[in-house]
Amino acid sequence: MKPVLEMQNVEKHFGGVRAIDDFSVKLEQGKIHGLIGPNGAGKTTIFNNITGIYVPDAGKIYFDGQDITGTPPHKVAQMGIGRTFQNIRLFSNLSVMENVIIASNLDATYNMLESFLLSKNYRSKEKALQEKAMSLLEVVGLSDRAEERASSLPYGHQRKLEIARAMALNPKLLLLDEPAAGMNADESAELVEFVRGIRDKFDITILMIEHHMDVVTNLCDYVTVLNFGKTIAVGTPEEVKSDKRVIDAYLGSEE
Amino acid sequence: MSLLQIFQDINSAFTGFFGINSYVQGIVILTCINIIAVLGMSVLTGFTRLFSFGNAGFMSIGAYTAAILATRYNLNFLLAIVAGTVFSAFIAFLLGTITLRLKGDYFLITCLGFGECVRVLFNYTKGLTGGSAGFSNIPNYSPMLFVLVCTVLAFYLAWRFIHSKYGRNLTSIRENELAAEAVGINVFRFKRMSFVFSAVYAGWAGALYAGYLMYIVPASFNLGKSCELITTTVIGGLGSLTGSVMGAIIVTLLPEAFRFLANYRMLLYGIAVVLVIMLRPAGLYGYKEFSLKRLVRRIKKLFTPKSTKGGDAGKKGGLTNEASA
Amino acid sequence: MFIQQLVTGISVGGIYALLATGYSLIYSLLDFSNWAHGEVAMIGAYTALIMSSNLGLPFIPAAIIGIGGAAAVSYFNERVAYRRIRHNHSPNMFLMIAAMGLSTVYQQAANVIFTGKYKQYPFRLPVSTVQIGNAYLGVLDLVSLGITAIIIIWLIYLINKTQFGLNVRAIACNNYTASILGVKVDRSIAYVFFLAGGLAGVAGILYGMKYNIFPTMGNVGLKAFIASVIGGLGSVPGAIVGAIVLGIIETLVAAYVNSSLRDFFSFALLIVLLLVKPSGLFGVDVQDKA
Repeated sequence: MKPVLEMQNVEKHFGGVRAIDDFSVKLEQGKIHGLIGPNGAGKTTIFNNITGIYVPDAGKIYFDGQDITGTPPHKVAQMGIGRTFQNIRLFSNLSVMENVIIASNLDATYNMLESFLLSKNYRSKEKALQEKAMSLLEVVGLSDRAEERASSLPYGHQRKLEIARAMALNPKLLLLDEPAAGMNADESAELVEFVRGIRDKFDITILMIEHHMDVVTNLCDYVTVLNFGKTIAVGTPEEVKSDKRVIDAYLGSEE
Repeated sequence: MSLLQIFQDINSAFTGFFGINSYVQGIVILTCINIIAVLGMSVLTGFTRLFSFGNAGFMSIGAYTAAILATRYNLNFLLAIVAGTVFSAFIAFLLGTITLRLKGDYFLITCLGFGECVRVLFNYTKGLTGGSAGFSNIPNYSPMLFVLVCTVLAFYLAWRFIHSKYGRNLTSIRENELAAEAVGINVFRFKRMSFVFSAVYAGWAGALYAGYLMYIVPASFNLGKSCELITTTVIGGLGSLTGSVMGAIIVTLLPEAFRFLANYRMLLYGIAVVLVIMLRPAGLYGYKEFSLKRLVRRIKKLFTPKSTKGGDAGKKGGLTNEASA
Repeated sequence: MFIQQLVTGISVGGIYALLATGYSLIYSLLDFSNWAHGEVAMIGAYTALIMSSNLGLPFIPAAIIGIGGAAAVSYFNERVAYRRIRHNHSPNMFLMIAAMGLSTVYQQAANVIFTGKYKQYPFRLPVSTVQIGNAYLGVLDLVSLGITAIIIIWLIYLINKTQFGLNVRAIACNNYTASILGVKVDRSIAYVFFLAGGLAGVAGILYGMKYNIFPTMGNVGLKAFIASVIGGLGSVPGAIVGAIVLGIIETLVAAYVNSSLRDFFSFALLIVLLLVKPSGLFGVDVQDKA
């Protein structure tokens, strides 16, 4: 089966620092893949390379068989890769609903003249956007807070909103950057259920950066371990946890 | 009987019937022209958070293009205004393509430079524009009713623009550029669209201004004018179209109401801006549009212990969703 | 003739440099363009004018009070307006809007108080020239140049070799970390504004001596901004270089091409430069961490 995402020997340097060194990975459809490693190991940099914020210095990235190396971020998103950010990046002053609708603007196929004249096409497309956004909010359990300001939501809900927004792109691949950051054990467990639910309902592939080991263990089908930009282990969470190299790299930082 | 003649006759009949003298007409026209220019600024600065200190340059381009075409080439005034607007937009498109990839402060300085360059250039090209002595004998193609109609149209179009996917994309850029890109928005393209939009409105306002004053000089469209557009937008409230309209009305009307303060107008203006930004940065409306619903709700709150939902729809156009925050 | 223009250009550039360094310092600290800076220079010039014309003080005391006045106003701007906006956690553009407002206020106040008439200092300024080879160099220009050079050398020493300068550079790198490490951030920022204001005051007085004193002379701050951008926003050495380059090019264009197109060329130069090197000559490209 064709991998949803394939990265081949990707490299990225900043000045003299090798942020990513010879990184390769293959993501299978419908699987949840974890990306773990100590801070500064290059995990977010990998995300940024996939989504086009950075252009790799070497190597190739294929999405669904298509070469997307160096494709600009907005195009990558349009092609079906959604992402969340380490520091939640919501449209703070806009409502919860508007945050999700904006991500659906790709579905709003009307032109400016139609929007001026309030044509039938315009009105039906706008209505469809509303409905789709509402249903996504229902899935994540935020539909009762649709009109609230995004920044007024509690932290955990903001995370969910960010994920809902990414889902509005109808993505085939979802990149989650530390979704459990700042959560306690209960919240993390809820998040695990939530993410698994999303994967099951929408049949998407997920690549996830995470530090919470219990989240990784419970959620991920496979894990890649990174240290100083290099892959040091790949396998199921169980295999990786008992790998000596991984233990050495982390030494005492398991949560 | 030309189209312009017809418009002027209708206007005279209207103002004669309601007893509106030319002084009041002038105030209405100037206010409307300011509203149009500020609406464009609002989209650019209030909704997209791009700062341009050069939009007076687009007003100037619109004014001179329309004036020269209408006066020297006897072009129909509607076409002249459209030409001024289109040319202004074209220049904005070129300028934006070059400068919008630069960081915010750099973009700002290039816009400023642009505005100044236009002014200096128009001063220099005596043959074409009359230079610093000005360009005169412009036909009076800005009768009050026509300008009012333009203003209403301008507001409607801006409202539609903001409440569609275009406006939403712009606000998302304002809120978080990186996230906007991550949800598929071509930030550069939309920034440019916003810039061109503001230039269209500035050019439109400038063209009408030329038709009203019937005489223009490059110096009227200087850095001070660009600053005035920005400060009016701020006072009215960033992210609010109705706020910008209010701001423009206040800024144009207040000096008339307080004639004796004429010398201190700009001074008070500056003080107002500083106070607003320090104490109530949201300005008059900030991120919210005027809404009859809220007004009714507030009034009801005054009379009942419990708050109730308001009844009427929003002020302009029956929208299912207000641009509320 | 060319040498003459060159010297004038460098001298004018020196005035721009005094403003541009203050501008750059403030930008590197607070990440905002202080539009009111030119008006601070204007206030310095007018203060010296009042001291000398109305109160009859001789040059040096009048100049010192003028510089002090400029520094005080600059500090006032920060203390009263900017600091409050910063502590409100308002977005940076609000600082810029406030600066714009302050700029308008000062300009208009000067207009109201002094009227728009062009004024001069009452001292007898040197109008003689010094002959060096074939060129006649204006004494005033040379003196201005000398003063500017001394001040800039002192400023470079201040930034690189003193504790104060270290504090400032630390804050420019990372506001938050610096405060954790014990640097009194707000106070250092206030000092910088005071210092930048003083520099602007000198610039204002020199400008007033060379040309005239009038309410809109603060627009020279715009040149300083251009110079800072050319040199790379946030870089003090860049600002100095940018200022000198701008001064020279401006003067040469005015002399050899057309004086009314002088500003046009300055801006065209700016745009071309930004297209080629978007962060300016010495600018640092800072990217947001995603």
